[in-house]
Amino acid sequence: MAEAAAPRPSPERLTAAFAALQALLGDRFSTAVAVRAHHGKDESYHAPFDPDGVAFARSTEEVSAIVNICADHRVPIIPFGTGTSLEGHVAALQGGISLDLSGMDRIVSVNPDDLDVTVEAGVTRKALNTHLRDTGLFFPIDPGANASLGGMAATRASGTNAVRYGTMRENVLALTVVLPDGRVVKTARRARKSAAGYDLTRLYVGSEGTLCVITEVTVRLYPIPEAISAAVCAFADIKGAVDTVIATIQQGVPVARIELLDDVQIDAINKYSKLDLPVAPTLFLEFHGSKAGVAEQAETVEAIAKDNGARGFRWTTQAEERTRLWQARHDAAYAAAALKPGAKFWATDVCVPISRLTECIVETKKDVALSFIPCPIVGHVGDGNFHVAMVVDPTRPEEIAEASRLNDRLILRALAMNGTCTGEHGVGYGKLDFLVAEHGEAVSVMRTLKQALDPLNIMNPGKIVRL
Amino acid sequence: MPLIPQDEAGVQAAVADALSRGTTLAVEGLGTKRGIGRAMQAGETLSLRALSGIVTYEPEELILTAQAGTTRDVIEATLAQRGQCLAFEPPDLSALLGSDGPGTLGGMVACNLSGPRRFAAGAARDFVLGLRAVSGRGEIFKAGGRVVKNVTGYDLAKLLTGSHGTLAVLTELTLKVLPAPETAETLVLRGLPDAPALSLLRGSIALGVEPTGLAHVPGLAAPSLGETGALTLFRLEGPGPSVRARAERLRGWLAGQGAPAVETRDNVADLWRALRDARPFAGPDRRDDLVWRLSLPPASAAAVGARLAALPGVSFFFDWAGGLIWAATPARLSVETFRAALQGAGHATLIRAPEALRASVPVFPPQADGIAALSRRIKEQFDPRGILNPGRMEAGV
Ligand SMILES: Cc1cc2nc3c(=O)[nH]c(=O)nc-3n(C[C@H](O)[C@H](O)[C@H](O)COP(=O)(O)OP(=O)(O)OC[C@H]3O[C@@H](n4cnc5c(N)ncnc54)[C@H](O)[C@@H]3O)c2cc1C
Repeated sequence: MAEAAAPRPSPERLTAAFAALQALLGDRFSTAVAVRAHHGKDESYHAPFDPDGVAFARSTEEVSAIVNICADHRVPIIPFGTGTSLEGHVAALQGGISLDLSGMDRIVSVNPDDLDVTVEAGVTRKALNTHLRDTGLFFPIDPGANASLGGMAATRASGTNAVRYGTMRENVLALTVVLPDGRVVKTARRARKSAAGYDLTRLYVGSEGTLCVITEVTVRLYPIPEAISAAVCAFADIKGAVDTVIATIQQGVPVARIELLDDVQIDAINKYSKLDLPVAPTLFLEFHGSKAGVAEQAETVEAIAKDNGARGFRWTTQAEERTRLWQARHDAAYAAAALKPGAKFWATDVCVPISRLTECIVETKKDVALSFIPCPIVGHVGDGNFHVAMVVDPTRPEEIAEASRLNDRLILRALAMNGTCTGEHGVGYGKLDFLVAEHGEAVSVMRTLKQALDPLNIMNPGKIVRL
Repeated sequence: MPLIPQDEAGVQAAVADALSRGTTLAVEGLGTKRGIGRAMQAGETLSLRALSGIVTYEPEELILTAQAGTTRDVIEATLAQRGQCLAFEPPDLSALLGSDGPGTLGGMVACNLSGPRRFAAGAARDFVLGLRAVSGRGEIFKAGGRVVKNVTGYDLAKLLTGSHGTLAVLTELTLKVLPAPETAETLVLRGLPDAPALSLLRGSIALGVEPTGLAHVPGLAAPSLGETGALTLFRLEGPGPSVRARAERLRGWLAGQGAPAVETRDNVADLWRALRDARPFAGPDRRDDLVWRLSLPPASAAAVGARLAALPGVSFFFDWAGGLIWAATPARLSVETFRAALQGAGHATLIRAPEALRASVPVFPPQADGIAALSRRIKEQFDPRGILNPGRMEAGV
């Protein structure tokens, strides 16, 4: 691949940078093979690229010092949260240093009165919610993996709650970032709304480590709703399930979660998460609000579902049962991979306008039914976003070729429907060409921005845009 | 005579022509917000008013695409016909600014204007899904798309929203729209001082009754709304039964907090509109005042209010549960004195001031050095020759 051929830093530069990093970090700088291998790969099928070394930072000042050293010696820096991204985001395409932020795991300040919290970049979403347990507040964004808040901001992540609470785009209030020249900048103060200048927060959210290192994140919190109820609802066919979703969204029912799992995916999670759901296209739903509001929402959706061939709602109001259900949903991709020994999953990620969703999923289902690789479908359908978790053995070229063919077809279908090639996983190096297909001239605008804000091209080079 | 291109290609030609002649452009829709931002001197005016019309509106999709010069009146009337709305409640500042009507879609997005529902529903920026624009380099590009979620690289649509026309000329916008709330009910408390009122407003969020309007008007500002004493307002919206149940719960909670008797008003749309549009400061009695919009962490609002109250002749009211303060200050009170009184709390933007003043003091809150340097680099990439709205946001940007 072209990416791999890009220049790597010379041995002299690396030696000089390593010496400085060792002096700064001691044993928190590592060149051990296993440590490097761990940091050069994500959870996807993409080929890993090991960094030349890994730096473990403990503070914003330290990150700034590390970035300064790397800038002095022109050594690439690849920020690393928990490495759960799916498009080769953390691969060290041009070598350099992986900057691991997991040690920056302090909750800086919880402000219940203002409904926000500031955390260091390495705090994971689960750790944050555990910390918030006694405050009556929660943070809703929940990618399947237990990702870091810094990584989630950097990838503009979403999850099952996005249909009601939005994504990282709507929920990050401010960032502390280290720029490629080592300067530390706070993008906004904790005010709800910043009228001050360009929205740097939104520019850095989703920049995939290519413009800055995020060291602190301030996000919105929400009161835990008075009432929560979850439901599982199986359908006679996938069209009925998706039509239910569309009608629900179009009527403005403020569902908190509305997730589709097709028959193949249900079968996979039954096995992986020890459930006994009927093997059929199924919606997992959750309603948040006041008691009356939740009851009303649930009734409305139940009526819509019945009209679309639902085979009855199964309610779960108990917290444990709900947790089990959503954990199973979050583990869907792992459940898919477990269908075949030694396999990995390749998750597609298109998002289409909601009224085209049924057509898109039904067509896709026809496609994958003819394929020789298992293709469970699962998705945050309330946003028009769904994944085919194609189960592939990365060592078998014919499986990769087949998955690639299916992925191409799906993306072209989505683009023809005015959709996007990636609703939440991002570009990394896996979707560079699709970004060009989707955005054309805007990609050159992005390129000039990248050149302006990272003139030495040391921040995660080779991701989002090729220079 | 302003330049009035008829389509996007015409906009591109106008920008290219300005580049080749080395002249600068004041970019506007109908010019209703000319008074916002720093006063600037541009060679020519580029008006988007002829790029008008809805391109596609798919109510079942909850998406609307329109040309940037389409008037807000047209957009809102079109949405209302299908029971939908712009959920961020954009204000109409024409009475405040003495301009003619709410203006265009492009102006609304360029200024990122949002009203009382903003703390619950999001800002204008959050509803901009995609756009088309012509950069200061004379290049046409599109950003974002027509889906509610996408992570295709840098979020240019959000960056351009609120950039006051200094990066690119917006030509077409795609917005997410929402069903208009079926019913609304506003609970009103009278006569409360600021601090306890604000604490009740914030508390109602944590209560989980999902308020969509939380405002407090101190006694001093009340007469301008035809009221006699302080008003504290809680707005609940949604389907009737749910609104009633939540109102009941809120009423019970307020009683438990020792709040004064609750008044329920059904038809307070006018009152919310007045707050949205800063009407308390639009009247003749305040005509010469400077008007400020201050955004701040809600929990600090009471303290900031107390400091403002100590300044002579200042009037103010709170929206977004204290996340926003609208303030009017007499012209004799210097901008420096006002900013100093804030002691660094939040961001203060001068929304209404005479042109001469807007030319000599920062209208937007002064930025930290690092931020200012970044902003300049971004400006240089989109508009290297500085031809679009020069100096509108800051000198040099
Ligand atoms: C089973 C599974 C389910 C998933 N489900 C979802 C889902 O529902 N929704 C969703 O959006 N995603 C999902 N993902 C993808 C992934 O979890 C998200 O992209 C997540 O946000 C990545 O966070 P991370 O901490 O692992 O980041 P990493 O993978 O470590 O890094 C991701 C990118 O961000 C950069 N980065 C990381 N930290 C920083 C920082 N502090 N500063 C600057 N840049 C940084 C990296 O350089 C890299 O480019 C899923 C992944 C898996 C494995």
